[in-house]
Amino acid sequence: MKVLIVDDEAPARERLRGLLDELDHCVVCGEAATGQEALAGAEQQQPDVLLMDIRMPGMDGLEAARHLLALEQPPAVIFTTAYSDYAIKAFEAHAVDYLLKPVRRERLAEALKNARRLTRVQAAALQSAGDGPAVRQSICVRVRGGLQLVTVSDIRYFHADQKYVTVCTPDTQVLLEETLKSLEQEFADRFIRIHRNALVATQHLAGLDRHADGHFLVRLQGVDTQLEVSRRHLADVRRCIKALPG
Amino acid sequence: MNTDRILRAAGSEREDAFFLPSFCDGWLMFAVVVITELLAIVIALVSPGFAADPWGHLGLISLYMQWIALTSAVVLCVVRPWLLRLSNMAAGLICYLIVLLVTAFVSETAYWLKLTSSGVLYITTEDHAVFLLRSLTIGTVISAVVLRYLFLQHQWRLQLEAETRSRIEALQARIRPHFLFNSMNTIAALTRSRSAMAEEAIQDLSDLFRASLSQSHDRSNLDEELTLARRYLHIEALRLGARLTVEWEMDTLPRDVRVPPLILQPLLENAIYHGIEPLPEGGSIRVSGRIDGGQVVIDISNPVGNQGVAEHHNGTRIAQANINQRLQLAFGRQAGLTSLQEHGYYQVTIRFPEERVS
Repeated sequence: MKVLIVDDEAPARERLRGLLDELDHCVVCGEAATGQEALAGAEQQQPDVLLMDIRMPGMDGLEAARHLLALEQPPAVIFTTAYSDYAIKAFEAHAVDYLLKPVRRERLAEALKNARRLTRVQAAALQSAGDGPAVRQSICVRVRGGLQLVTVSDIRYFHADQKYVTVCTPDTQVLLEETLKSLEQEFADRFIRIHRNALVATQHLAGLDRHADGHFLVRLQGVDTQLEVSRRHLADVRRCIKALPG
Repeated sequence: MNTDRILRAAGSEREDAFFLPSFCDGWLMFAVVVITELLAIVIALVSPGFAADPWGHLGLISLYMQWIALTSAVVLCVVRPWLLRLSNMAAGLICYLIVLLVTAFVSETAYWLKLTSSGVLYITTEDHAVFLLRSLTIGTVISAVVLRYLFLQHQWRLQLEAETRSRIEALQARIRPHFLFNSMNTIAALTRSRSAMAEEAIQDLSDLFRASLSQSHDRSNLDEELTLARRYLHIEALRLGARLTVEWEMDTLPRDVRVPPLILQPLLENAIYHGIEPLPEGGSIRVSGRIDGGQVVIDISNPVGNQGVAEHHNGTRIAQANINQRLQLAFGRQAGLTSLQEHGYYQVTIRFPEERVS
């Protein structure tokens, strides 16, 4: 059984490695210190199980688990945590395995024996019960079989075209398998709806122009594309631009 | 000598629980004179003879009442040590009797000195019994009211003290559970490979918990507080490695200024939990202190990531309100905590009067 250890603290990783070395049928295939490293490690090493800390800088364990589900063969995930009252209740409620630090050897062996794959529903429920609201720091997309992370603060807009939603940053444009509606709900405090088919990042709004034929278009920092604002959303967009600093 | 000290300690305990203030105190004596005079003015104003000779009338009534009040106060001052041995109830009754006896005695003397013959105390010589009865009734009512007032004031003071004490106890610094379990996990890892470091971590953790569980919390100084802060940071450094650095600029502060214990540690813990830990590359906490206009001012600042608006976090708010209250309970209103966030840094400032402890 291949195990990937994910924890931002070196002594915590060291201890898990020590415990796992003493267990039969277990091979530590790698270590990761952040959620991003965990995703990369999971893709390259193809572990069977991830032992993953919940509280990590950047992308936390819960968000990393959500992104892992985009893999073709997602690994089983066992969370580790030092102390978090409410999180433990959430874990029990969703029958997801977790280990309390310092981890006991017997308990670790038992958890590995029963390791199960996490489901999408469980992951989403856990994250909303976790430290903050279920708002991701980045969006995970599958590109040619691999995973690519798009940092939410880099995103300029989401644009819906028939079936697909395109996410656009100054560097990339990729397709997403999510609906504009769910994105609007999740990122309500960072993105504003300007049209039936588009959400734009409020922090990157650069201005509003009136086109010759009476339409309004928004400009965004870092991209040349101008997006149409519908009459319905015009007042909201104006208010948003006025509220911008500077 | 030892017994003497114990006896005195027991005496002072009884002193705190006794409702009757010491009338030997100059200020209290002054208060007795003022209150008696105010009462004398009221009685003079309502008496029928006032219009004829206001000043002479007031003068005589004042003289008569001051005589009773001051004699009572002196007697109470003298017998107080003896009353201390009794229960509040018995002592109260005896005080009441003393005041009534003094009233009776003074009335009788006044009568024989013919203080009343001028008619100012509106009696004629035949009314001996009526005069005595009237004085005693007034004495009965007024002394009952005054004793009741003293008793209630005492109860109120006791209650206030108990409330303050329980507030301080509730606010006493508590080490957070996540720190305890993270530290235990670090120690568990270190025992395998580096037992000397594990040993040190256990000693540091013990010192922190000893300070946190300690009940005698009033006389600690900056030196002790900085030692505790360093013990705490030492443990966190084991866990966070190179991600945590701390810059100290505390050299200008005298080491013997009074600081309630575990004021700095929770602020450092917040700085680590909300500032350093969420940053993948870590960061530096800056602790700087100075004296400013007779006040000790200490700033603690940490970098914040783009998502970390530490101020809005519930845990931070509670910890900061707690420290603010502890500072104000220890030093009064001039002490307190403020915080601000700008240019990617979050800074907490505590200030309190400069007081020295040995």
